[in-house]
This record gives sequence, structure tokens and C-alpha cells, in this order.
Amino acid sequence: MGRMDNFSPIDYGELVQEDRIHGSLYIDEDVYNDEMDRIFHKGWAFVGHDSEIPNVGDYVTRMVGKQSVIMMRSKDMKVRVFLNRCQHRGNQLCNEKQGNKRALACPYHGWAYNTEGELKDVPYKGGFDKPLSDFNLEQPRTDDYRGFVWACLAQEGISLLEHLGRATELFDRACDLSPEGELNLTAGWDRHRYLANWKMLPENDTDGYHVNFTHRSFVEAIDSQYGDFVQEEESIEGVVIDWGMGHTEIDFARGYKEPLKWFGVTEAKVPEYVQAMKDAYGDEEAMEKLRVGPPHACIFPNLFLGEMNIVIFQPEAVGGCVQWHTPMFLKGAEQLNYRLLRQSEGAMGPSSFLVADDATIAQLTQRTLEQGQPWCDLSRGMGREVEEPNGNLVSHMTDETNNRGFWKHYKVVMEG
Amino acid sequence: MVTDADEKALTRFVYREARLADESSYDEWEALWDDDAVYWVPRGDGEFDPAKHVSHLYDHRQRIATRIRQLKTGYRYSQIPVSPMRRMISNLEFFDGENEGEFEVQYNFILAELAIQSTHEMNFWVGRTTIKVRGDLDVPRLFYKKIALVDGDEPIPSLSFII
Ligand code: FES
Ligand SMILES: [Fe+2]
Repeated sequence: MGRMDNFSPIDYGELVQEDRIHGSLYIDEDVYNDEMDRIFHKGWAFVGHDSEIPNVGDYVTRMVGKQSVIMMRSKDMKVRVFLNRCQHRGNQLCNEKQGNKRALACPYHGWAYNTEGELKDVPYKGGFDKPLSDFNLEQPRTDDYRGFVWACLAQEGISLLEHLGRATELFDRACDLSPEGELNLTAGWDRHRYLANWKMLPENDTDGYHVNFTHRSFVEAIDSQYGDFVQEEESIEGVVIDWGMGHTEIDFARGYKEPLKWFGVTEAKVPEYVQAMKDAYGDEEAMEKLRVGPPHACIFPNLFLGEMNIVIFQPEAVGGCVQWHTPMFLKGAEQLNYRLLRQSEGAMGPSSFLVADDATIAQLTQRTLEQGQPWCDLSRGMGREVEEPNGNLVSHMTDETNNRGFWKHYKVVMEG
Repeated sequence: MVTDADEKALTRFVYREARLADESSYDEWEALWDDDAVYWVPRGDGEFDPAKHVSHLYDHRQRIATRIRQLKTGYRYSQIPVSPMRRMISNLEFFDGENEGEFEVQYNFILAELAIQSTHEMNFWVGRTTIKVRGDLDVPRLFYKKIALVDGDEPIPSLSFII
């Protein structure tokens, strides 16, 4: 089932309105194909973090839209991203999720590429007259911000910094919780499959409105920092923010008074960490960083800085996606790792106390959208959101300002 | 030495624990656990260390209690209604435990779970379980259960029932 009229081009201006969006955006194959092309192939997508591949020859494979890619640490220590496709007749080069290789050798006819992606060997050279240098692996445009590696399959277009816009500040906030200013994503990724459209992930992960309802069992069974946000409308201090370019946030920090509230501990519980932070940033700045804590923000289109988790959204089909998560280990604060692991499992993934219920809701929503093509309302807070001096739109934590921010950018990209 | 009588008693325990899990008999299942419990679903059969690698779940005794308490609130939407389930168990092997009076049992399982609360898909969960128990084998105390899924390091659906 799809749009009412399957013959004319899709009118994204009509389907994405300021205060509502059309349900077909979640269920239409043609929309999905357009998204893969315009959002994931022509725009920037998050691939991985450089701490995942510390040594020469280390690699991980990831999906960028419909395209499998290899992110590899080359001999010159540069992180490169290659299309996972042999330049001979197109066989998949690398089937493993991760590992270390001295060279990328194709299992079909043995073409071998070095860690820089250069074709170095073609077996039985006698019959092959073309120059090897015409057959180096395809490299999308690749750039990183503080170790977060992104790729853009289109060779033309905006830079990564233009894509991230003001949201670089959110990466800074995350990384600067490390006394060394660096993250260490070494715990591996847990992967949770949703039979729901991928856009429900960024929408839900920064939705401040659902917590009290979807997560009622969590709120009742577990004492956590989120408990403070389950209260009367007037007393909620957290806000939602549209950072522009489709980047969105729930900012809990505006409700945090004490340091480390976001970690569910007091200073006394993690003295070495607090000291290391003070040594690195000075007392005052360190304490402010420890009060504010990590961002809770979706970076368009497929990355979620989920407090002390890093999360990837991977579309699989119009009605299916995978949410990846790994705990955000902080370099120079390894004593936090055990607690971070357990918190990560508690919040994210298939067995978590939180996201398992979000997945159920997403799957139920997907089913009802497939039954018809209703409008989904996103008008909450239109009358009370405020523009801050930096251009961010800010509103009450239960408002849909950030969801509107996602869709506003979506429309710009989809209309090309 | 694991005697035939021990094996029989341990097998009875394995089946009972499986039935309590199948039927989401939360209180009875929770009551099987000893204080030093470890209930663990790593990301498959590989070399995973819960102190280094993220797991699907890694619960000590208190978190098992939290998990059950959450399921019993009546608002745990990923288990409303609870998934109808049945698991088949085979290939049981019995071992002496690390300490006197402790035993380890390993077995394969196939679990059919109907995701009745959302997709109505039948999910098949397949893997090998290791349990460790101690005490009187008529009423053993469970202190370790590790479930290594065949597809543990692939994307998996929600797993908020008792596996
Ligand atoms: S397709 Fe890779 S060597 Fe032929
Ligand atoms: Fe949620």
C-alpha cells in the first residue's frame, strides 16, 4: 500500500507540512527509495568511530543506506571508507563485521587491494592490459568530527561541517566528558531489530512527551534520574531543541542541579573520575561539564548521541530497521566502564528496561499506518517555542519542536 | 562425579525452570535464584567478557528483581500481553561445578515465541544454555544462567520475556 496515486512524482511539500506529516511517509516503498538516494547516498551518513579501528588493517563493515562500506585504518594511519565491492566484477570484498586484514583480497578471482584501497595484484596478469590504478576501490567523501567518521557517496555537495552545523557543540559536550577529550567505543555493538520504519527511531529517541506513558513500567519499577521528568507540566525543566539541519535534542541538563545526576551517582562514588576531570579542565569548568552531562540528541540522519550510549539507526526496508548501540566509554575514565556497560544494557537494546517498549510502540504504529494513510499531528508547542540567539528553537520537554525540526530538514533534502 | 540420580534431579530442574519461563510465572521463576545470581545473554557464543563487552542483558540478583518488578507493573508494553512461548530442550550434558555441591548443566534449546503484543510474528530463539546450581537437588538454587544465542551477534527482536 502506498500513496493514493502511484504515477506522479511524490510531492514532499504536500506530505510534510509544518504541523503534520502524512502516514504514507512511513510505508511507501518509493518514499523509502527516495530517502536512500537523497538522504543516505547524496548526503552525509555516520559510519563509525575511529576508536573502533585503532591499528593498521583494523576494519568494520557498515551500511550507508543500501551500500555496504568498509571503514579501515590504512597504513598511513588514516581512516578510510571504501565501498565493499570489488572493482573487477562487483563481488562483495569483505563479509565479516570487523577484524584486521593486511590486504583486502577478493574471494572470487583474487584481486587484492592494500589498506589504502589501491589495487595491487591481479592474478594471471598476462591477460589483463588495463592499468591497475584504474581499479582502486571507490572511496566516498569521508570526514570526521572528533573521531566520528562520516561518509557521503556523492562526490559533490556540502561539507561535513556544514551538515553538522551548530550540532558540533553536542559532540564536544559528549567528548569533553573524557578527561582526555576522547571516546573509546570498544564494547562492541548490540543490535536490535524493529519491524518499523527507520524514521521512528530519531523521532522517538528525542521525544520527551512519551516518557510518562510508554515507559510507565520503568518509572514505576525503577528509581532513576528520569523520574524527575515525570511530573506536572509546569515543573518540568527539561527542554526540547531543534538545532537546525535536522539535528534534535532533549536537554535534560536544564533540570540538573548537582553534578553527575545524569550518571545516577554522586561525586563521592567516582572520585578518581572527578579528580581527572578537574585536572584536565580546571575545577569550575570540570564541575560544570559534570553537571550538564552528555547530550541526548539525534544527529541527522542516522546517529544518536544517547547520553552515555552511541547509537546508529540502520534502515533495512520501508518497514524495518536496526538500532545499534554501544556504551560511550571515556578515555582516561576506564573505572566507569562496568557501570556504563550495565547502564547501556538497561536503557538500550532488545532486553532493556526502556527501549524494548519503544520498539513495541513503533511496531504497533507501523501496523496501523499500513492499514491506512492518516495524518500524524506534530503541532504540540508551536505556540510556545522560542528562538534562542544561536538560532535554536527551544520548547517545553513535552513539545514536538524537535520532531518538527527533523521533518523540516527532511523536506528540504527530499525536495532536493 | 555426577551420578545418575543427580542427572535425573538436574534434568527435572531444567524442565521446571523452562516451564516457568515459558509460562511467564514470574514469582516462581524469580524464587529459583540464589543471591549471587548471574543471568546473562551475551552477544552469542564468542569470547565475550561482561566487563568489557556490551551484552543483550547481564543481570545480578537485584536487577533480576527489577526486571520482574517491571514486568509485573502491568505497563511493560513489550510484554502486554505476555508472549506465548514453548521451548524444546535437548543435548543435556552434566558437569561438576567449581565448588563442592555445585553442578553445571549445558543444553541446547529452540524457543518459539509469539510476539503477540506487536508484530504477531513467531520468533525462533535458538542457542545453548549453561546453568549452575547448588544445594539440595530436589530444590536446587540457581546461581548462573547464560544463554548463548546462535544469532546473538546479529540484529534480534525485543527480548523482554524470560529466556
Ligand atoms: S570479482 Fe573480485 S576478483 Fe573478480
Ligand atoms: Fe522511549
